[in-house]
Amino acid sequence: MAGREAVKRAVQQVRPILSVDREEARKRALNLYKAWYRQIPYIVMDYDIPMTVEQCRDKLREEFVKHRNVTDIRVIDMLVIKGQMELKESVEIWKQKGHIMRYWKESQDPKPTDFLSKFIQGVN
Amino acid sequence: MIRAPLVKALGALGSPTHQMASRAVRTSAMVAQTPAKAPEKIEVFVDDIPVQVVPGTTVLQAAAQIGVEIPRFCYHERLAVAGNCRMCLVEVEKSPKPVAACAMPVMKGWRIKTNSDLTRKAREGVMEFLLMNHPLDCPICDQGGECDLQDQAMAFGSDRSRFTDINYTGKRAVEDKDIGPLVKTIMTRCIHCTRCVRFASEIAGVDDLGTTGRGNDMQIGTYVEKLFLTELSGNVIDLCPVGALTNKPYSFVARPWEIRKVSSIDVLDAVGSNIVVSTRTNEVLRILPRENEDVNEEWLADKSRFACDGLKRQRLVAPMVRMPNGELQAVEWEGALIAVAKAIKAAGGQIAGISGQLADLEAQVALKDLLNRLGSEVVATEQGFIAGGTDNRANYLLNSTIAGLEEADAVLLVGTNPRYEAPLVNTRLRKAYVHNELQIASIGPKIDLSYDHENLGADAALVKDVCSGAHAFSKVLEGAKKPAIIIGADLLERADGAAIHATVAEYCKKLKKPNWNPFNVLQTNAAQVGALDVGYKAGAQTAVKAQPKVLFLLNADAGKVTREQLPKDCFVVYIGSHGDNGASIADAVLPGAAYTEKQGIYVNTEGRPQQTLPGVSPPGMAREDWKILRALSEVVGKPLPYDNLDELRNRLEDVAPHLTRLGQLEPAGDAGAAGTISKSIGGGAIDIKLKELRDYFMTDAISRASPTMAKCISAVNKQQRENEAKQSVAI
Amino acid sequence: MLTNCASKTLAAVRANIRAIATSSARASDNLFVHRDTPEDNPNIPFEFTAENKKRVEAILSIYPEGHKRGAMIPLLDLAQRQYGWLPISAMHKVAEILQLPNMRVYEVATFYTMFMRKPTGKYHIQVCTTTPCWLRGSDDILETCKKQLGIGVGDTTKDRKFTISEVECLGACVNAPMVAINDDYYEDLTSKDMQDILNDLKADKISPPGPRNGRFASEPKGEPTSLSEEPKGPGFGLQAGL
Repeated sequence: MAGREAVKRAVQQVRPILSVDREEARKRALNLYKAWYRQIPYIVMDYDIPMTVEQCRDKLREEFVKHRNVTDIRVIDMLVIKGQMELKESVEIWKQKGHIMRYWKESQDPKPTDFLSKFIQGVN
Repeated sequence: MIRAPLVKALGALGSPTHQMASRAVRTSAMVAQTPAKAPEKIEVFVDDIPVQVVPGTTVLQAAAQIGVEIPRFCYHERLAVAGNCRMCLVEVEKSPKPVAACAMPVMKGWRIKTNSDLTRKAREGVMEFLLMNHPLDCPICDQGGECDLQDQAMAFGSDRSRFTDINYTGKRAVEDKDIGPLVKTIMTRCIHCTRCVRFASEIAGVDDLGTTGRGNDMQIGTYVEKLFLTELSGNVIDLCPVGALTNKPYSFVARPWEIRKVSSIDVLDAVGSNIVVSTRTNEVLRILPRENEDVNEEWLADKSRFACDGLKRQRLVAPMVRMPNGELQAVEWEGALIAVAKAIKAAGGQIAGISGQLADLEAQVALKDLLNRLGSEVVATEQGFIAGGTDNRANYLLNSTIAGLEEADAVLLVGTNPRYEAPLVNTRLRKAYVHNELQIASIGPKIDLSYDHENLGADAALVKDVCSGAHAFSKVLEGAKKPAIIIGADLLERADGAAIHATVAEYCKKLKKPNWNPFNVLQTNAAQVGALDVGYKAGAQTAVKAQPKVLFLLNADAGKVTREQLPKDCFVVYIGSHGDNGASIADAVLPGAAYTEKQGIYVNTEGRPQQTLPGVSPPGMAREDWKILRALSEVVGKPLPYDNLDELRNRLEDVAPHLTRLGQLEPAGDAGAAGTISKSIGGGAIDIKLKELRDYFMTDAISRASPTMAKCISAVNKQQRENEAKQSVAI
Repeated sequence: MLTNCASKTLAAVRANIRAIATSSARASDNLFVHRDTPEDNPNIPFEFTAENKKRVEAILSIYPEGHKRGAMIPLLDLAQRQYGWLPISAMHKVAEILQLPNMRVYEVATFYTMFMRKPTGKYHIQVCTTTPCWLRGSDDILETCKKQLGIGVGDTTKDRKFTISEVECLGACVNAPMVAINDDYYEDLTSKDMQDILNDLKADKISPPGPRNGRFASEPKGEPTSLSEEPKGPGFGLQAGL
């Protein structure tokens, strides 16, 4: 009984979100990349952020490269959908300056977690 | 205030067990004790709601029982009824005119109407009369926003006055009085409720205030030029329902709606009064009492109330290390911790710690844990106590409890002046003296306690006389139902302190009654009981005798340790909030937080643990004391196993579980030191440190830094000089 | 009908207009705080005379133990009679005798207007100016006193002999106008009478008190107008049946 359930689960075809195969997913990702790439000059101008177009494109590449090892089509699709949402928000100026600048945020120092560093910084 | 007369004691308070008028009556009535019959309750109706009350209840109290609050100005629960403001007028059915609710006892079946047309009209009329002469200077009045008159005028007053002639003649104006550096008077605002007069005479026992003149020209004041000097003077500010008496140091500082309030505990004496700390923009502005029936009722001593400006002066704001040229230099925390850690490494376990007057329990536990990990057992309190007497908790507590002293009927004070060492304990004794026919005797120098007492003399040998039952006062103690003996904590620092302690403890076993422990030690330091509870030894000399290489001074500012007593190469580390005696001899100064800046447990003289809460953050680079010790432990390489307060409290619970049950009192057993005390009481006079009011104001690092306290001392000195000058003229 | 209607309207109008009341905001001419002066300060010693000490004992003995403070007013009065007025050191003395705080004595001494807390002349002339006396000419009497002594109301002459005060009704309206000099009443006065009295007092001669217009007491001037016949015997006016 239990064995049959396991087999059933293994062979069950997961329902795709958008793409049916890997190639289609790749195309979607590339399209998203291009769309962002072309939008960047306008983002820099509209939001008046203290970044050059090159820096933004580097960041765009970095954001995509961060997920280069994702192989699951469903996950890729979901990431693409999220990317599109972000893009839409940027294009429509639903975001504000700070939201755009948040892409560079992780370059800040992380907060200390151990007692002594917290003590010396006076944050505990 | 003269003592409540015999008639009142017998008549008003009723049952023979409750009150004995005099010793003669007491002894004779002892035999004929009958249990007091519970008086039958009578039914009255407040706004048609039936209430069962005991006979003698006033209309106001009956209404309060069902939560109906009748407006009042002159009535106060803890003062005698005056009935002169008339604000509490209410209609009673079938009564021809409204009655003053605060003074009128209810009768059976009365129907009281607290919100009828007549009542409202009466209140409106009274309000109109009160406002006839009250200035409309609310915008520049310090009471504005927390003023009873303002609130009640809004709620019950009329929107206009019919006294239009003040437009031509002006309102009554009264000149302001100078009654000292703490209380500011604007007497034109006074509505003559006489709460301050009654407080001074009943609670403080200083009959300096009174009403002079009559009618429209009546004023409250001292008649002659005189300062209202008592250790409780600040309470008249709270009592005053209008802005006639206001806080002088706080005048024109803040409005009540802009301040943040934090409920905390006072640590400037060992009573542990409950307080509310008012803060704004990270600054302590003032301190008010918070009601706690078991501790401070609703009063607060002047030092606790007004020394808060000392929290801003003389503060240590950066770690400091003594340079080779002998000067303390401010450094970063890393540098200071490493310097201390190096010294600790070099000391090789020859380390000692002394905990002072204002140290919180958490820091004390952390210091003890740290020293134990470093291989030392020498932790001691700065104030001394008898050797070997700290194992039994009853030895150093006020076992009768603060609230319990109210019921005492015979008290012997040995080498203590409760009026200045613990003013709110003294108010309890005074209360018992006025209402309970308490008989008080003292051994020590002659002092003014604000009530009559018998001074037996100053010789220490008298303790032995009394405790052997030979002295005349022994008879009083033995005949009393709830006798108490209170020993001053400073007295026990004497060489024969242990002998005095043992003698009294032995005698108290004889005086013991069910549910009543007559043995009391009145502590003066807020940190003392807590330290002894978690296993500190008593006396700074214990630490000095060990001749440590590194000495920790945790808030130890009393100046009991001097550089000369220590080895030449001793490295002294001071952890504390103020640059006082401790910091001046230190090689490394680590700035700590004061009591308004940390969450810490303090145990009061009766053994009640209570916690302070932070109202403001520590100034500059100062840190909470236990965190300094925790950080230091990591730098030394022996980290303490707690990173936050909860973990530290868990550790505290392992050490002393009763100290984490905040606000609760753990009864202690009989007092008595372990082992036999061979020493007998030596002769010599018993002395008291705080004899006069001027000694009271500066007793610790915070109050020594306070400009207001300095002003108080100079005011006391000035008044005394003037009195002396007058006397010399008279002679 | 018409009048009825009119009065109703008037009542309605009155109910909507708030009555205007006036009260006196005038400050008292007495000061209710003490100021040290050369004549009155705590360093001036005060002691009851030997004779008065006996009186003090007698007064105190009236009051039961525990209620001795009731003797405060009699003692203050005694002190005032001895000294002529009531200096602060006398109040202190009374407080000392009664073992009370000084403040409790100040409260009583400032409450009663007949305790003179500032230097007062040997003869304290209290001129009644309440309505009945005023209608009968007290203004003249007061004016005479002022002119004769050269001082105003509330003042004392330089030689400490006279003080004039204006007082409210002293209960001798039937013999208005009147003045009280120390404990004596001088009644039915005219300006001339007042001048005589003052001239006598200046020579320390005390004129006999009482009415000055020939009356013995408050009987009608001249012949009695009632009760003039012989008293009727017993049984007068009784019903025949009784």
